Amino acid sequence: MAVSVEEHQKEQPQVVDDDDDNDEPLNGEEEEEDAEDFEEEEEESETFPDKAKMENLFRRISTERVPLRVHDVLIKGNTKTKDSLIESEVEVLKNATTVQELIQAANVANARLRRLEIFDSVNITLDSGPPELPGTANVIVEVAETKNPITGDIGVFSKPEARSWSLEGSLKLKNLFGFGDLWDSSLACGWDQTSEVSAGVSLPKLKRLASPISARIALLSQDWLKFSSYKDRALGLSLGLVSSRNHELAYNVSWRTLMDPSQMASRSIRRQLGHGLLSSLKYTFKIDRRNSPLRPTRGYAFVSTSQIGGLVPDYRSLRFLRQELDLRYAFPLGFYNAALNFGVSSGVIFPWGDGFSNMASSLPERFFLGGNSSPVCTLGGPMTLLGFKSRGLGLTEPRRQIRGNSSDGSSETSSGRDSLGGDLALTAFADLSFDLPLRVLRDAGIHGHFFACAGNLTKLTENAYRDFSFQKYHESVRSSAGFGIIVPTKLFRMEVSA
Amino acid sequence: MDEQVNQREEVTLVARKACFGLPTACPSCLPVYIYLKFAQTPFNLDFNLTYPDSDQIPYVESGTYVAYNNEKGGVIESLKEDGIVDLDSEVAGVPDWISTKAVVNTWLADALMYELWVGSNGSSAHKIYFSDLPWPIGKFLYFKQTRITKQLLGITKDNADRREEEIYGKATIAYGALATRLGDQSFFFENRPTSLDAVFLGHALFMLHAFPETSVLRSKLLEHSNLVRYADKLRTEFIEAGSSSSIPPSHADPLSSFARGGTSNWSSKPKSKPKKERTEEEKKFRRRAKYFLVTQLVAVLVFLSLLGGSHDAEVELDDDDYDD
Repeated sequence: MAVSVEEHQKEQPQVVDDDDDNDEPLNGEEEEEDAEDFEEEEEESETFPDKAKMENLFRRISTERVPLRVHDVLIKGNTKTKDSLIESEVEVLKNATTVQELIQAANVANARLRRLEIFDSVNITLDSGPPELPGTANVIVEVAETKNPITGDIGVFSKPEARSWSLEGSLKLKNLFGFGDLWDSSLACGWDQTSEVSAGVSLPKLKRLASPISARIALLSQDWLKFSSYKDRALGLSLGLVSSRNHELAYNVSWRTLMDPSQMASRSIRRQLGHGLLSSLKYTFKIDRRNSPLRPTRGYAFVSTSQIGGLVPDYRSLRFLRQELDLRYAFPLGFYNAALNFGVSSGVIFPWGDGFSNMASSLPERFFLGGNSSPVCTLGGPMTLLGFKSRGLGLTEPRRQIRGNSSDGSSETSSGRDSLGGDLALTAFADLSFDLPLRVLRDAGIHGHFFACAGNLTKLTENAYRDFSFQKYHESVRSSAGFGIIVPTKLFRMEVSA
Repeated sequence: MDEQVNQREEVTLVARKACFGLPTACPSCLPVYIYLKFAQTPFNLDFNLTYPDSDQIPYVESGTYVAYNNEKGGVIESLKEDGIVDLDSEVAGVPDWISTKAVVNTWLADALMYELWVGSNGSSAHKIYFSDLPWPIGKFLYFKQTRITKQLLGITKDNADRREEEIYGKATIAYGALATRLGDQSFFFENRPTSLDAVFLGHALFMLHAFPETSVLRSKLLEHSNLVRYADKLRTEFIEAGSSSSIPPSHADPLSSFARGGTSNWSSKPKSKPKKERTEEEKKFRRRAKYFLVTQLVAVLVFLSLLGGSHDAEVELDDDDYDD
C-alpha cells in the first residue's frame, strides 16, 4: 500500500496527492505508513524539507489530532458536469477538522465521485491554504469526464426481485445533462421464461434531493403456462423515490394482462384472466450484517417489505396489502470454515376495499413456493423450498380436459394441474456449510452443505380464512432435507444437491 | 357422493356484464344465454368484467369441461358437437335454415359490429365492455377495438360513407327477408326454437335495448313490427320468466346429459393426432437443444471463472458516519 503512494510522491513538497488511480483504500490507522508530504507553511525553496521536521510531522499525525480547517474546495476539469453535483458529493470535506479526518473524507469523496460512473478519473489534491490564514487547507478536485458517454454491457445478473438469473444486455448513456444522470435501456431474458425490455434514468443525490431517484419504464413478460396455465404481461412505470443503505421506497404503476393462449387453464385461473391496473407503493427496510451474501458464516440479516396496492382513486385498480419478512442468522463453528445458517421467511397478502373478504387475491401477487435457488443467498421473501419443483407447494386445481386426453392418460410434461399459490406463506431452513477436505476444492471456494427446510402455503381469501385453524396449518407443512456441493464462480453460484 | 358429482357438473356460463335490462349485454354472449334458456338447461351465470378483448368469452364450463367461443365455430357449435345441447338436429340439413343462419351471422352481425364501434358515439360499448376497467386501459382498448373493427369491415377514410351505405343496405334486406320468413309464427322454423332463433333474438334484443333511439339500424329494425313482437314475446317467455342464478335440485337429466355427452364423445379424432405428435416432437427437440446450449454455456463460464484472475478490490464506504 505504501509502495503505490510513494510512486506518486510529487516534487512539490507542500502538496499531498491522493490520486484515485492508485486505487488503494486508506484508513486512519494506516496513515503512518503513507509517505505523504504535508507542510502547514509554504516553503519557497524547491529542495526537500528537513527530514527531522517531516519525522516530527508524521509523529504528530499518528499520535495526536492535528487541527486543520478546509478553506476552499476548488473543482476543475468538469465541462459538462454541473458544479453543484460535484460539490454535493465532496461536501464531507468541509466538515473535517483534523488532518486525519480530512484524509478520510478525501477517500470518501473520491469513492463517491467514482461511484457516479461518469468520470474516467478523479484526483483529489490537498493544498495549503492562503498564507494569511494558517491552519487551513485548500482541496482541489480534479475530474476527467468520460470521453465516450455510451457504454454497452452484456452479462448474467441476478436482480434483487428476480427469482432466478437472467441474461441481460444493456446500453448506458452517461451524464447527458450534466447532472450525473444515467440513462439506460436493457433487454433481459430470464431462466424462467421471463423477458423484459426496459429503459430508465437515474439521478444521483443532488443538493435539493434527499436521496438518489430513478425512473424506469419496462415491458415485462412472464410465461407461467407450464405451472399455472397463464402468461403475464405488464407495461409499467416505476419510480425509485428513496434509496439508501437501509431504506428503499418505490412507486409502481403498471398495466398488467393475464392471458391463457393454451386455453387449458383451471377454473380459478380462468377467473383471473384479463386486464388490471396496478398502482402500488413498496417500502423495504433492510439490514444485512452478514460477512458475505453468497456464503455467510457470521452475522444476521433482516428484511421487511411492505406493499400497498390500489393507490389511485379509481376503485377498479388492484387493491391489496402485502407484507414479507425475512430473518437470517449465521454463526461460525470454528472447524473446516463451517457455519450454521438459520432463516425464516414469511409473507401474507390480503385484498382491501368493498367486499374484500370475498375477493380473491391477485394471482401474480400471491406467494408461490418451490424452486431451486438457495434460501441462504436469497433475501426476497418466502420463495424457495429446496427439493420441490418450481411452484410445487400449495393448492392446485385440475386443468381443462379435452376429448382424447383421458384415454391417453395425463400428458407427460405437466401433471394436468395448475398451481394456484397461496396468501399466507412461511418457510424456515437450517443449513450447515463446510469446506471440503481437498485443498484444491477449498482454494476454488467449492464447499458442501447439509440443509433442511420446511414450508407452508395457505389460502386466506374468498372466505377461506374462516376455516383457518392452527392444527390444519400445522398438518399441511411440507419439508425436505438433503446435502449438496456448491461451486461459486465469478458470475454465478452453481449447486449440485440431493 | 351424488351431490358431489352434481356439484362438479354444474353448468356455468361466463359472459360479460349485464346492463340495458339484458341479462348479459355483450352481443356475442347473449345468443349463448338464450340458447341455454331455450334448451331449458339450468345454469349459473358468472361475469368476466376485465377481459373485453378476449375471444374466449363467452364460455361454458362444467367440471373440467370448457367450451370456448374461439373453438369449433363458437360456443353453440361446440355444445352441439359435443352432444351437450343440440336444438338443431332436425333442421341442420335444411338449406333454407342454413342460408338464413348465414345471413344473420354475416350481414346482421357486421351491421351490429359497425353500429356499436363505428356508427355510434361509443357510449354503449363503453358501458358494456370498459366500465369496470380503469380509465386509461378502457380508453386504449376502445380505440384498439375500433381500429380492428374498421380493418375487419374494410373501412378506410375514403370509402367510409360508401361502406356504411352498403352495410346498412344489406341489414335492411336481411330484416325484410327475416320478417317475411317469420310471418306470424312464434319461431323461424318448425315452430320450435333453434340456434337461429337464439342468434337472431340476441341480435334483436341488443338492437332494441342497447342503442339509443337515434340509431339508424335500430330504426330499420323497428320498421318490421312482427320482428319486434317476436323479440318481446320470447324475451318475456324465456328470459324474464325464470332466474338462472340457481340450479333447482330436481333437474337431473340435463346434468347427466353433460356427463354422458362428455364421456361418450371422448373418442380421439384422427385429424388432431398427427398434429399433436408433431408438436410433441418439436417440444422434445427444443428441450434437448436448450439443454445442450445450457451445458455448453455453463462449461465455458466455469472454465473462465476458475481460471480467472483475482477479484477487484473495492473501497468500502461507511457513508453513515458522514450523513447529516
